[in-house]
Parts: sequence; structure tokens; C-alpha cells
Amino acid sequence: MKDIVNLKLPCKAEFVNVARMNVATIANNMKMNYEVIQDLKVAVSEACNNVILHSDSDAYYEVVFAVTKDKLIIDINDYGVGFDMKNYEKPDLKHPKGHGLGLFIIENLVDEMKIITEDEIGTTIKMIKNV
Amino acid sequence: MTLKITELEKNDKICKMSIDGEMDINSYKKVKDKLNKIIDEESINIELDFQNLSYIDSTGIGVLIGILKKLNKNEKSLVIKNARENIIRLFNITGLDKIFILQ
Repeated sequence: MKDIVNLKLPCKAEFVNVARMNVATIANNMKMNYEVIQDLKVAVSEACNNVILHSDSDAYYEVVFAVTKDKLIIDINDYGVGFDMKNYEKPDLKHPKGHGLGLFIIENLVDEMKIITEDEIGTTIKMIKNV
Repeated sequence: MTLKITELEKNDKICKMSIDGEMDINSYKKVKDKLNKIIDEESINIELDFQNLSYIDSTGIGVLIGILKKLNKNEKSLVIKNARENIIRLFNITGLDKIFILQ
């Protein structure tokens, strides 16, 4: 059995903190500890940043939280141009650039991350955090 | 939470500032513009007090990387002081703890 929370957010930077606050509340309700909650705030924000900076998305995107007994599943769905997986390079941490860190950070903060994308249809960043 | 930048001390060698609040996609440009203005005007070391910085994301980190590169080109330094655990964790994950001076 799972509970679903669905947020529809404008593709604007000033609303990313709404997603951040929601994941903090949900994770707190699930009795996750402070450090995990901080990690999830960053992971969700980075996925939202990705939509705003790179998706060339429509006016809105969705943040869907599925709460089960033992995990929190978070989908960030946009309806933009799709994610160019072929040209995605992991950041070179010895020679950091000022961009390209977001997905790498997410991967390190959640238990599972998956990107599902289709050209001109959109992208879902799926994140799973086990309780 | 809004972002607040306060100049704490400035002389011909160093500019010390505190950055309070959240440095994210909605506020990083404010920090970027302020720091770039200072280091474009004069060759100076920068010290940032993060004691009251509660949150940073990759856009904020990107600004710091850009500023560090500019300063290093002129043989100047960027020191980050009093960063909270959640912020240090991001520096550790990205390996940037080896590049930045965290005190």
C-alpha cells in the first residue's frame, strides 16, 4: 500500500524550495533522520534544477512522492525536450567545472536513481530512498 | 529563506563576507554578481563565513568554483569558514573539499 503526494510546480526557480520543503516534511513523517532529510532536500532540488535549467519544459512540471512502508519513491516529471543521455559525462572531480554536478550529487544521496527520457516528450528522474 | 550577503571587513588584502540563508537556483546569481564585482575591481583574497548558510546546491557550488578559478589565476585565495555539516557533506561528495580551503 502506498500514499501518493503530487505537486504541480511552475518551471521557475523561485518554486524549487516548495519541492524541498515538501520532501522534508514527508521524510520527517516517515521518521527518517536529520541527515537523510538534508540529503533528500538536496536530491529533490537538484532534480528540479535540472528541469528548470535544461528541459526547455512547458510551464509546469510534476513532483510525485510515493510513500510506502519501507521506501520513499520520488519522480520528477517534465514535458520538455528530453535528456541527452549519450552526451552526458560524469564530472571530472579533479578539474571541476561550474556546472554538471547535479545528477552526480543526486546519485550519491539516494539509494537508487533512474532517468527515463524520450526526445521531445519529456524526462522522469526517479529517486528511491529506503527507510 | 532569503539570501543575505554582509561585508564584514575589507582592506587592500582581503574581503571578508558572511553569506546567510539559502544559496540555491533562485539566489546564486546574487552571490555570483557580488563576488565577481569585488574581484573584478581589485586583486584581493576572499573569505566567506558560512555559519548561517543553511543550504547550498550545485548552482551555488558552481559559483564558488568559478570564483575560486578566477582568484587562483591571480594567485589569490578563497577561504570558506564555519560551514555546517550538510554543506561540508556536499563538498566531500563532489571532492571539492580537496580543492577549497574549508576552515
